[in-house]
Amino acid sequence: MDTGFFATDFGILILTLLKSLALIVPLLIGVAYLTYAERKVLAAMQLRRGPNVIGPFGLWQPFADAIKMLFKETIIPDGSNRLLFLFAPIITFGLAIIAWAVIPVNDHWAIANINVGMLYLFAISSLGVYGVIIAGWASNSKFAFLGAMRSAAQMVSYEVSIGLVILSVLVCAGSLNLNTIVLAQRHIWFAIPLLPMLVVFFISGLAETNRAPFDLPEGESEIVAGFMVEYSAMSFALFFLGEYANMILMSGMTTILFLGGWLSPIPFIPFTWVPGPIWFILKVAACLFVFLWVRATLPRFRYDQLMQLGWKVFLPFSLAWLVLTASVLEIFGWLPHA
Amino acid sequence: MARLGMTRLGVRLDRTARSFLLLEILSGMAITLRYFFKPKATLNYPYEKNAISPRFKGEHALRRYPNGEERCIACKLCEAICPAQAITIEAEPRADGSRRTTRYDIDMTKCIYCGLCEEACPVDAIVEGPNFEFATETREELLYDKAKLLDNGDRWEPELAKRLELDAPYR
Amino acid sequence: MAKVTVDGIEIEVPNGFTVLQAAEAAGKEIPRFCYHERLSIAGNCRMCLVEIEKMPKPVASCGQPVGEGMVIFTDTEKVRQARRNVMEFLLINHPLDCPICDQGGECDLQDEAMGYGRDHSRYLENKRAVTDKNFGPLVKTVMTRCIQCTRCVRFLSEVAGVPELGATSRGETMEITNYVERGLTSELSGNIIDLCPVGALTAKPYAFVARTWELRKTDSIDVFDAVGTNIRIDSRGGEVLRILPRINDAVNEEWLADKSRFALDGLKRKRLDRPWIRVAGKLQPASWDSALAALAARIASAAPSRIGAIAGNLCDAESMMALKDLMTALGSHNLDCRQDGTALDASQREFYLFNTTIEGIDEADAVLFVGVDPRREAPVLNARLRRRWVENLNFVAGMIGRKTDVTYACTHLGDDGAALRAMLDPEHEFTKKLAAAKKPMMIIGQQALARLDGAAVFAACWQIAGAADMLAADWHGFNVLHNAAARVGGLDLGFVPQEGGKDVAAMLNGGVDVLWLLGADELDMTKIPPETFVIYQGHHGDRGAARADLILPGAAYTEKPGTYVNTEGRAQLAQRAIFPPGEAREDWTIIRAASAALGKPLPYNDIEALRRRMIKVSPVFGAPDVVRRIAHADGAKPAGDVAHLTDAPFTPAFETYYQTDPISRASPTMAKCATEIPAPLQRAAE
Repeated sequence: MDTGFFATDFGILILTLLKSLALIVPLLIGVAYLTYAERKVLAAMQLRRGPNVIGPFGLWQPFADAIKMLFKETIIPDGSNRLLFLFAPIITFGLAIIAWAVIPVNDHWAIANINVGMLYLFAISSLGVYGVIIAGWASNSKFAFLGAMRSAAQMVSYEVSIGLVILSVLVCAGSLNLNTIVLAQRHIWFAIPLLPMLVVFFISGLAETNRAPFDLPEGESEIVAGFMVEYSAMSFALFFLGEYANMILMSGMTTILFLGGWLSPIPFIPFTWVPGPIWFILKVAACLFVFLWVRATLPRFRYDQLMQLGWKVFLPFSLAWLVLTASVLEIFGWLPHA
Repeated sequence: MARLGMTRLGVRLDRTARSFLLLEILSGMAITLRYFFKPKATLNYPYEKNAISPRFKGEHALRRYPNGEERCIACKLCEAICPAQAITIEAEPRADGSRRTTRYDIDMTKCIYCGLCEEACPVDAIVEGPNFEFATETREELLYDKAKLLDNGDRWEPELAKRLELDAPYR
Repeated sequence: MAKVTVDGIEIEVPNGFTVLQAAEAAGKEIPRFCYHERLSIAGNCRMCLVEIEKMPKPVASCGQPVGEGMVIFTDTEKVRQARRNVMEFLLINHPLDCPICDQGGECDLQDEAMGYGRDHSRYLENKRAVTDKNFGPLVKTVMTRCIQCTRCVRFLSEVAGVPELGATSRGETMEITNYVERGLTSELSGNIIDLCPVGALTAKPYAFVARTWELRKTDSIDVFDAVGTNIRIDSRGGEVLRILPRINDAVNEEWLADKSRFALDGLKRKRLDRPWIRVAGKLQPASWDSALAALAARIASAAPSRIGAIAGNLCDAESMMALKDLMTALGSHNLDCRQDGTALDASQREFYLFNTTIEGIDEADAVLFVGVDPRREAPVLNARLRRRWVENLNFVAGMIGRKTDVTYACTHLGDDGAALRAMLDPEHEFTKKLAAAKKPMMIIGQQALARLDGAAVFAACWQIAGAADMLAADWHGFNVLHNAAARVGGLDLGFVPQEGGKDVAAMLNGGVDVLWLLGADELDMTKIPPETFVIYQGHHGDRGAARADLILPGAAYTEKPGTYVNTEGRAQLAQRAIFPPGEAREDWTIIRAASAALGKPLPYNDIEALRRRMIKVSPVFGAPDVVRRIAHADGAKPAGDVAHLTDAPFTPAFETYYQTDPISRASPTMAKCATEIPAPLQRAAE
C-alpha cells in the first residue's frame, strides 16, 4: 500500500471510492434482501408463505419492487416545500450510508478507521432525525407533521439511554476506535458482562430506527404512514431504503459493541479459519432476525408508554448500570489503560 | 394487615422482576418462533386449489336442455328476487310463440353472489357455477349479456349438471 | 231489508242481495272466480262456498239470495276444506306454467291457491290440453289455462252486446270458443283480459313484455274519446307498457275501450323529439333556441289580426289556456278548438255538454241518436246505454244517421236531414214515443254539427228536445256527444274566435299569415295556402307536422300532467307517467317559453299558477272529478234557424274506429286491428 499508484493522493481517492463501492453495493443488496427477509419472516410467523412467485422462492421480488418504484410517478403535494420535500429522503438515505464509513467488517477493514469512530457513529445516527422532521414539515400534511413530531421526540429520548449504554462499553474498552472496541472483546464479549446494557441498547435501537413496537412515527393505523404519507415512487423508496439501512447499521453497532464484531464466537481451529467478515455478516443477520421477530410478536406501544419507558426506566437504569460498571472496574483495577 | 401489606409488596416485586427479566416478552417471542417453523396454511393458489362444495356460488351461467334449447323462459323471477338488482331481462314471443328472453344481462359488479336467482329459477336455467376465476381487465367485461351467459353454460355444463345432481336431495 | 248474521256480525242488507254480497257488506272476503259484480251470476266455479245454518251442505254464496235471519259462516273448517277441494279440482287440469304466464303476479287463481292450494298434486294422470283460439289481434288465448268461469262469455254477450263467445261440450271437454275463429269484433274486447281470473286471455301486444311488479302505476285520463275514461298507466323506465281502466262508477265503471287500451305502442313511433325548421322547402333539425327565435321573428313580422291558433283533439286544458293567453297578449282574436268545424255554441254550457251526464243514462227510458255512432265514438258510454236497454224493457232507441249495429235494438229513422225534419212533426211515430217516455234523451254527434247547416241541425234537435219535454227543470235530456278529449275543455276556456276573430275555416283558407296548430291534425292541410307560416306543436309526425314550417315537439298525454274535461263537463286530472322523448317538452312550458321569446311573458311559471288562472276563467277546473247536472235555463235558445236544414245525409265521424288520431295512426297494433277485424255485420235494427 505504501508504493505505486495507490500511494498518491489521487490513488488514495480512487482507492477510497472503490472501497466505498465495495461496501455500498453489498449494503444496498443487503437492504433489498432485508425487505424480502422481513416479508418472509413475518409470513412464516403468521403461517403464510410470503413472496414466492417472482423467481425461485420469490427471490427476485426486491428487484421487481425496485422497478415498480422507479417507474411510478413522484407526486409532490400542493403547498409543500418542494426543495425540502425532495431533500428529506436524500438526507435520510445519505446519512444511513455515510455512517457505514467507520464500521469495520474485519480487522482494520473499514473505509475510515478513525479514532473517534464511536462518536462519529453517534453523531450521524442522531442526525437521522432531521430527514424525518424535514419530511414531515415539508409535506404540508397534518399526518406527516404529527409523525415527524412523534419521531423527533422519540429519537431524542432514546438517544440519551443509547449514549449511556455506549459509555459503559467505552469504559470497558477504553477507546472510541471501533476496531479497538472489537479487539477488546477477544477474551469475552461485552454481551456477557453487560447483558442488561445489550438489552437496553437493542430496545433503544428499535426506537431509534422507528421499528415495531416503536413505529409510532409511521403508525399506519392511526396516522396513515406518518411522515412518509405524502411520498411516492423513488422518494418513498429512499426513505424505505434508509430505514432498512439504519436497521443494518444498528445491527452492526450491536455486533461491534457487544457481540465481538468479526471475531469467531468459538475460538477453536475450524471456526477461526472462517474469515472475519463472514462472522460479522452472520452476527448482523442474527440481530436483524431479532428485529423482524420482535415486529412479528409485539404490538405497537402507546405514546405515553414509549416516553415512560425511555425516561423513567431506561435512563435511570442505564445510568445506574454505568455507575456500577465503572465502580466494578475501578474496584478490581480492570480499567483498560488509556 | 401486615400480612396483607407483605402480600401486596410481594406481588409488586414479582411483577417488577418479571418485567425487568422480560419474561412475558420472551414467552411471546417463543410462540412466534414456534410458529416460524410450523407448516404453512397458505395454498400455493394458482397451482393448488381447495375442494369446492357443490353449492359453491361462482360465476353465473345460463343452461340449455340436452337438445340445445335454452332453458330460460323469461319468467323474471330471478330479476325480481335479486337483492342487488343486478339482473335485467327483456322478453318477447319468439317466432314459434314461446316465451324467451331477448336480453338477459347480469351486472357482475353489482352481483353479491347470494344465489337467490338460482333458487328462484323454476327451470334451473340460471345457475351459479364452480368457476370463480373470471376476473377481467375492464369493468365492461363484467357486464354479462345473454350470449356470454349461454356460452358459460355450454362450457361448464358437465360440472353444472353434476353439481345440481349432488345438491338435488337437499332442494 | 233482511237481517243476517255473518260470522257473528249482524247486518241488514236489501232483500235482493246474495249471500256473497251480504258477506262483503260485513267485511268478509269470499274467494271467487266466476262471480263478477257487473256480470250475471253463473255459479260455476264453486269457490265461494260458505256454510249456512240449517243447510246440510256448503252453499255457493254468489247465487244464494239472503233470507231473513240467515246465519252465515265464511271461515269454518268445513268451508275451508270445501274450498280446498274445489281448488284441487280446478288445479287438476290447470297447467303449472305460471312462470311463462303473463297473468303471473296478478292472477286470481294464483292468489287463491296460496290460501287454499295443496303443496303438491295427487293427480297423476295427464292434464287436459285445449287448442288455442283466434280471438283477433288484441286478445291472446292459452285455453289450456281456462277454468271455464265464463266471465268472458258473459261480458261479451251482456255488456259488449256482441255474443261472439260461447262454451262447447261439457265437463272436462268444455271449451270456450268463438265458433268460427274469426276474431272478436267488439270495441270493448280488451276488457275480457281484465276479467279473466287466470291467464287464459291475455293481451297480445303485451305478451311477455313485463311483469306486474316491475311496473310503475300512474293514474291518468284517457284521451282517445271524450268519455274521460279513468285509466292507470303502467310504465317501466321511459316506456308505457300497458294501460288499464280504473274503476269510476260515474264514468267508465271498470271498462276501457280497445283503442284506449292498445294504441299505446303508437306513443313510441313517429315521435317528434326535437324542433324542426323548414329551410328551402325541407325540414331541418334545429335547437330550441333557434326554433323559438324563428318563431318570434315570424310572429313579430305578422299583423296581430293575421295570426291564428287551432287546438287539436288531444290537448290538455293547460296548454290551451296558455296558448289562448299568448294569443290575447299578441292581440289576435283568431282562436278555435273545433277543428272539425262543428257549429257548437260556446256561450252556454248546456249547448255543448252531455247534459244528462253519463250516470244519468241509468235513468233514461228513450234515446234518439242524431248523426252519431255511439258504439264507435264512445264505446264505454254505449255499453251503459246497452245496459239500460237490458234493464228496462220499455227502453226505446232511434237513430238518424248511417245505419250501424249499436248492439241493442235501435229503430233506424233515416240517414239524412229530411229524416230529422220529419221528426219535428209531433205525429211522427218516434216523436210520439219520445214524448211518451218519462226521461227521454237525445244524443247529437259531432258530424251532425260539422255540416254546413250544423246550426240548423242543432236548432232542429233543440226543438225536438223541447217538444219531448227533455228540457225540463229536473231532467235535461239534450246531449252533445263529443269525440275529442280536448273539446269541452277548450270550449270551457273559451278557445273559440273572439270578437271579430276568424274560425277554423277562415283561418285555413288564407285568413292568417301565421297559423299555430296545437296538436291539430284532423284538418285538410291542402287548404292552407303555401305562403302561410304553419307552426305545429305536437307529439307525432302526422298530418300537421308534414305541413309545418316550424315544429315544436310537445308531450303526449302520458308524458305531462294535464286536465281534461269530458263530454259531460267533468274536469279530471291526469298525472305524468313518463317523460317526453328527446328534447320534447310539456306543451304549456313550450308556450310559456315562446311567450318569453316574443317579449310578452305569460304571468305563470309553474303549473299551479297556470291552474289558478284556469279556475279564474272557468270554475269547472276548480272542482275536478265533480260534475253537476245542469238544469235547463229558461230562455236559452240556440242561434240557428231550423229553416236552413238541408236534406244532406249524415256521415259517420270516422270510417275505421281504430285509427282516428295521430297516436292510433302511428300504432302498429291499431293498424293490424284496422285490417284484421272485420267491420261489424250490419245487424238489422230490431
